[in-house]
Amino acid sequence: MREEMLAIIFGMAVVTFLPRFLPMAFLTRWVIPERIRVGLGYIPTAILSAIVFPMLFFNEGGKVVIQSHHLLSAVSVFIFSWKVKRLWASVILGMLVYWGLGFIM
Amino acid sequence: MTNNGQFREGVKDALPVVLGYLPVGVAFGLLARNAGLTPSEVGLMSLLVYAGASQFLAIEMIFKGMTWLPVVLATFFINLRHILMSSNLSLYFKNTRLPLLGFLSAQLTDESFAVAISNLPKLKNNPPYLFGLQITSHLAWVIGSIGGALFGPLIKISEYGLPFAFPSLFICLLVFQLKSVHHFGIMVVAGASSLFFKWALQGNWYILLAALLAGGMGVVVEIVNGKQKAGGERQKAQGSKQKP
Repeated sequence: MREEMLAIIFGMAVVTFLPRFLPMAFLTRWVIPERIRVGLGYIPTAILSAIVFPMLFFNEGGKVVIQSHHLLSAVSVFIFSWKVKRLWASVILGMLVYWGLGFIM
Repeated sequence: MTNNGQFREGVKDALPVVLGYLPVGVAFGLLARNAGLTPSEVGLMSLLVYAGASQFLAIEMIFKGMTWLPVVLATFFINLRHILMSSNLSLYFKNTRLPLLGFLSAQLTDESFAVAISNLPKLKNNPPYLFGLQITSHLAWVIGSIGGALFGPLIKISEYGLPFAFPSLFICLLVFQLKSVHHFGIMVVAGASSLFFKWALQGNWYILLAALLAGGMGVVVEIVNGKQKAGGERQKAQGSKQKP
């Protein structure tokens, strides 16, 4: 393997490890005040929303668009997973709806 | 349940992630190969770095002839968002020893995090479960990338709704989080601000910024609510002082 590539890979490995590890290492050994703990509890909702919405409203070129294909599929998954509460089934359903809409739209 | 049973439970719960990682891994392997990486370099990067977005960006930069420092810096900034996820996970692993935490945290990704926090009673103080979930996802990523580097040109990854596997996964996991009106509020704030930040800024800062903004608002709302509730309870307590 090339030296430059190894430097890149190991460098990337170190800088991806730090933000994954340090918060866990310190916060598990520190008694977190109640208010901060409650705030941390909202983080999953906040992160997931911040990942999902741009996926739906931006196209691959990074432009803001209304993509009815994506939105219809997303709404189907939303309603289905609200009712059924099954991760597997929701992913399969989302893929099927998206695939099916590809023929119609 | 035994450690072994917990581990297997984690492996089982990783399957939706595997479904997403295999095709994206194949895409990565294929592109990395085109950018001049050898299959063993592709495999080593997926094994040690294990971060989709920054790996795609890295091969793009390598292809354009960048040296190691800009690639490593870009990777660092892209993955700062894991600080929030790691902080959140720390709530559930209070009793875990540091070396084991180091090992578990090295395999933290957006997707496995999202699955892990979808069932907190299962996750709490349960390293074998998290390990099973993460090692399975990690393997899918490594195998997918190497597969893509070796056989990529023969596979079509844009077929059968596969591009919508990750959006579906994230939407479903988001739905699982929506347990109160507050969570809906957080979703609206985070969703709207992420769109704004993505539109306004380069790179993927939008996830970190939107999550901080919405999480911060959540804390403020919680503090205001807590004060009201504490006030109400104090009144109630005073009213019922006579009772034993």
